[in-house]
Amino acid sequence: MKRLLSIREVPIFGVLVLFFGVAALGNHALFSASGLHDLLFTSSIICLLACAETLIIVMKHIDLSISSTIGFSSYIIGKNASNGHGLLYCLILGVIFGLAVGAVNGFLVAYLKLPSLVVTLGTLYLVRGLFNQVARGDFINSDKVPHLLTYMADHTFVKVPYLFLVALAMAIVVGFVMRHLRSGRDLYAIGSNLPAAHLAGIAVEKRTFWAFTAAGGIAGLGGAILLARFGQAQANSGLGIELSVVSACVVGGVAIAGGIGTIYGAMIGALLLQTIVMALGALGVSQFWQGVVNGALLIAAISLDKILSSRSQRTQIMRVSA
Amino acid sequence: MMSKLSALRGNIGWDKGVGILLLVTLIVGSLITPDFATTSNLGFVVQDIGEIMIIALPMAFLIIAGEIDLSVGSALSLVSSTIGYSFAHGISFGFAILIGICVGAATGALNGFLVNYLGLQSLAVTIGTMGLFRGLCFVLLGNTPVNQLPDFWTGLGVNNIPHTFLPWSFVLIAPLVFFAWILLHHTKIGRWTFVTGISAEAARFSGIPVKRFKFLMYVATGVMVSLAAIVYTLRFASASPDSAMGYELTTIAAVLFGGVSIAGGFGTMWGVIFSVIELGAIRSVLQLINFSSNALQMVSGALLLFSVAFPKVIELLKSRREARVKKPSPSLASMRSVE
Repeated sequence: MKRLLSIREVPIFGVLVLFFGVAALGNHALFSASGLHDLLFTSSIICLLACAETLIIVMKHIDLSISSTIGFSSYIIGKNASNGHGLLYCLILGVIFGLAVGAVNGFLVAYLKLPSLVVTLGTLYLVRGLFNQVARGDFINSDKVPHLLTYMADHTFVKVPYLFLVALAMAIVVGFVMRHLRSGRDLYAIGSNLPAAHLAGIAVEKRTFWAFTAAGGIAGLGGAILLARFGQAQANSGLGIELSVVSACVVGGVAIAGGIGTIYGAMIGALLLQTIVMALGALGVSQFWQGVVNGALLIAAISLDKILSSRSQRTQIMRVSA
Repeated sequence: MMSKLSALRGNIGWDKGVGILLLVTLIVGSLITPDFATTSNLGFVVQDIGEIMIIALPMAFLIIAGEIDLSVGSALSLVSSTIGYSFAHGISFGFAILIGICVGAATGALNGFLVNYLGLQSLAVTIGTMGLFRGLCFVLLGNTPVNQLPDFWTGLGVNNIPHTFLPWSFVLIAPLVFFAWILLHHTKIGRWTFVTGISAEAARFSGIPVKRFKFLMYVATGVMVSLAAIVYTLRFASASPDSAMGYELTTIAAVLFGGVSIAGGFGTMWGVIFSVIELGAIRSVLQLINFSSNALQMVSGALLLFSVAFPKVIELLKSRREARVKKPSPSLASMRSVE
């Protein structure tokens, strides 16, 4: 039992269940198959992007550019599909675009040693500007979205929406890499102690570069999910989504100070945020409070993390001195 | 070429380089389009960069002190929304502005409290407050902007000072710029800022009340943001919940392009001031030659990347050259690569 509680994800999961329960008491419609379906369906994009962001935050970096990447990628996929290209071709284009943005971020952060915040803030606006320039007033509407994507958005597999399954599959793959493969473990080492990681012979630059590139690639793939989820793409697709993603990760126990956290935690964080939003809706609170709740929860999560980590450090010191 | 550039940088400094670049932009701009070097356009540029200039001043202090504030755009919008909300609910406009300034100070105080007294990373905190403040704007106003503001006040935002080509906001901005320059380079406060940025610990040991100092710096940022919000609200004659989107980027880009180090501890106020004007000049030229408005976003992003990447590239090239000249022993070389 004690061991179970010491896993970082368990308390968050508890909070998630609690919130869902409270919200369901307020509105019974929530506590049904369709309520669960809505929850998984609407949070699938944040869950997928949380996989990308976790890779980065664990290294004590941050990637704000994913929102522009996913938006532009969804437009690229939609545009090429409406020009009559096959879905696979469009998907590959979207992913390549994401990888390219990620590689630029990775190069600047890993090899030029620039602060990731500034770099990705720059690419966030650079890509968004480029996107607006290319898309102008163009609008990809739902009948131009590839059929497979619409099918995936409308159907479920054993009551689980396909879009969420994609996010889940990604989480399992990335989660496996981060837990069991050396390249993944290295990311934790880089995030928890950079000089030590260097001295231990970890190829810090290479790992950092590839992590950013992978994050970009996941965001590129996310473009397809975004397109399927909303059935449309336009110049403001994905705008401001980076805030929700970072919130989800931090709420889910991925420490912003680096070195701690898992994909699954981040996904639970994403579900928790979405549950709160739905609960507010179910309890009749105006949707305008959503941004406030997201921001406040992010601040609460980092404050709590700080307090808890300083306390556990203190107990460790006490144990050592005893 | 590279050696010349780095020599240039070593001799006259990045901030003066920005000044020269500004001069070049002004000359090239007036050659490209006859509309650029007119008094009316000059007045327009001053008006266009007003808010960015006002926010860039405290942002320079924050970044030099080793912190950052990503919430300035949202905070500006919140102050603007507060003014609009108060006014729409029957409070006189002058009093609404006072309430706005109080709200601005409160946003700064919240950031300052979380960063300094809870010891949280300013980056993470201000990403959170960025969302929080923006959310509050929508809570206050919903999706509907307040447009019916009193003519006397909006006149201040739109008209020029009589008999000049300068907008009224100039009366506010010029003294603030002068004051910020004096404060950073000629007072104890300024020296504290640099010391705190180089090493907060050393600053604390030398008797600077670092926490309180940085807390007050955030509060001052909040107040400055609310001044910018007033200028913004009057200029657009509207208080809307989606005001000042992306201002945090433009401001930070301007400050960094002005030669302030993102790592803290280095920078000059002149560099920042030149850089903001340069940004306005580039935007004006691009607008006059009918470049799309989207390009402006890209220019800000590109300038931001350039201003952090360029010094780093020069540094790398320099150290590589030095390494070649010195030809260090293999063991030393391997130690270097570890560093």
